[in-house]
Amino acid sequence: MNEYLSSICKEVIAGNQTEVIELVDKALKNGILPLTILKEGLTRGIESLGTKFKTGEVYLPEILISIRAMNNGLNLLKPYFRSSNDFQHEGTIVIGTIEGDIHDIGKNLVRLMLEGTGFRVVDLGVNVSSSSFVKSVCEHKADIVGISALLTTTMIHIPNVIHALKQNPLCDRVPVMIGGACITRGFADEIGAEGYAIDCTSAPEEAKRLMKGREKRL
Amino acid sequence: MNISARNRFLNISHFKTHDLCLPSSFFLFWPETLTLWMEGGAPHTIKNGKGRMNYFKLDHARFLWEVHSGLEVAHYEFRGQLYTYFITPLIPSYESRIIEEDENSLIITNEAGQKMMINKIHAGNMPMYLDHPVRDKASWENIKKRLDPESPGRWPVVWDEYATRFHNRDYPLGLSVGSLFGFLREWTGLERLLFWMYDDPMLVEEMMDHMVFLETVIIKRVLKDIKIDFALLWEDMAYKAGPMISPEMFRKFVMPRCSKITELLRKEGVDIIFVDSDGNIDKLIPLWLECGVNGFWPLEVAAGMDAVAIRKKYGKEVILAGNIDKRQLTKGKELIRNEVMSKVPFLLGQSGYFPCIDHLVPPDVPFENFIYFLNLVREICGLEKIDNLLPIIR
Repeated sequence: MNEYLSSICKEVIAGNQTEVIELVDKALKNGILPLTILKEGLTRGIESLGTKFKTGEVYLPEILISIRAMNNGLNLLKPYFRSSNDFQHEGTIVIGTIEGDIHDIGKNLVRLMLEGTGFRVVDLGVNVSSSSFVKSVCEHKADIVGISALLTTTMIHIPNVIHALKQNPLCDRVPVMIGGACITRGFADEIGAEGYAIDCTSAPEEAKRLMKGREKRL
Repeated sequence: MNISARNRFLNISHFKTHDLCLPSSFFLFWPETLTLWMEGGAPHTIKNGKGRMNYFKLDHARFLWEVHSGLEVAHYEFRGQLYTYFITPLIPSYESRIIEEDENSLIITNEAGQKMMINKIHAGNMPMYLDHPVRDKASWENIKKRLDPESPGRWPVVWDEYATRFHNRDYPLGLSVGSLFGFLREWTGLERLLFWMYDDPMLVEEMMDHMVFLETVIIKRVLKDIKIDFALLWEDMAYKAGPMISPEMFRKFVMPRCSKITELLRKEGVDIIFVDSDGNIDKLIPLWLECGVNGFWPLEVAAGMDAVAIRKKYGKEVILAGNIDKRQLTKGKELIRNEVMSKVPFLLGQSGYFPCIDHLVPPDVPFENFIYFLNLVREICGLEKIDNLLPIIR
């Protein structure tokens, strides 16, 4: 890999925003394409955090400073892209906390991770009803729906969203991924949610897996 | 002869007996749960702590709530509906007021200076925090003024009379000894605190140092006149995949300060020191042990906590409370029995364990399931059941 790109990746992982800005600037001046800098430098750095998170090499503070460093680098690249679709290339995900639940810390971290790995995220916020999920999925032509729930008393509303999506021919094939304190893989399987992320760093990997499945179906 | 709840609590904590103790202070309920139970036919006596203790045959245990040293329960009453949340012990507190209201929610600033959204439809849900009072060093100074251990409002008015009430008691008495990570997060918000651990570690350390100052002054004053049986730190610094900060950061920020608090407690004869943290604390247990904390509650099953495995790994180094999966209590009797029988007989057999639910009892737990759980535990210990007290559930 190009020296600049590997250094950008390394500094994103270390969360060094000043170094990332300098390196992105230098990479651009040396003729490296913005999309290459994004994919091979910035995004690669964020993606490798997922593995480090799972092995306990990094924790939430390190994730946050890495995402901040990446976003600072991305700000330098944005003027080179015609539209946000150029750097949000992985797909569109509508996310929200389920109806009755107003917790958003986990959901917000998932949003940051997804954006950092190239997804376009439409965040509906908290206490989101089935109809709002469906409306937004259709409006934004979303590829995936992400639903968060903290409480046992609210996770029971997630099947309503899945049911509502299946009832609408415009979004009946959009896969759902879920997560949150009370959610398990078993629960996801039980209610027919195709994706499950145990934590924020697992979300991009799971979303990419769902995207591949979606491409095959389409 | 009956052994007092206090002696049972102490003997269990010191691994001297295989007896049962169900400390009432470890049995917490969402207000909505109690409302639903009462609407379904449960006696209205369960509305208050004493009534619940008697009805569920729990063992009286209490904290020195009148000394404002730890996380406190607060209520906001709006059009006859009571909303419950937890606040930090700021004296004087902020004025609580409504900022916005719509069909589904209320936005208020609470007594701890936080802006929060309350769900009007699901009154029992925890609020969502929208803003926090500490944004920089200057705003920290404003909060710090409200963390004076000598503030008269922090203490019962007639201290000597108050302290005398706890002499010759037969129940365990606990003292909340505050929080390091948890309180800071309440004041700054999680994201800001985590950023500051890199961007402004000196401010984080200064804030934590002040918490040590606050709590050590309180501990010294309390223990001069009252013999307490256990202490409780509140941290909630883990989620279901593990701690919110790395072990290295824990060692840097939390450990030296937590150790100062536990050293003082132990010097004064308090050797039962619990920490309350939801989430998966597997990686934090050895660190807390190193800091002098030896009790762990509530051991959340949904986050992968397993009290049996912890007991096998740490032996008599740890006192455990909780770990009965709240989710199983929403299901049938067979699953509740599996949950209880797979843990409680072994753990009681080892001593150093207090059986209770792994969080507040949520509103989707049927009353009869909760009674079934209690009776199972009583049955294991050869105690009389409480079926005869069951109302007719319709």
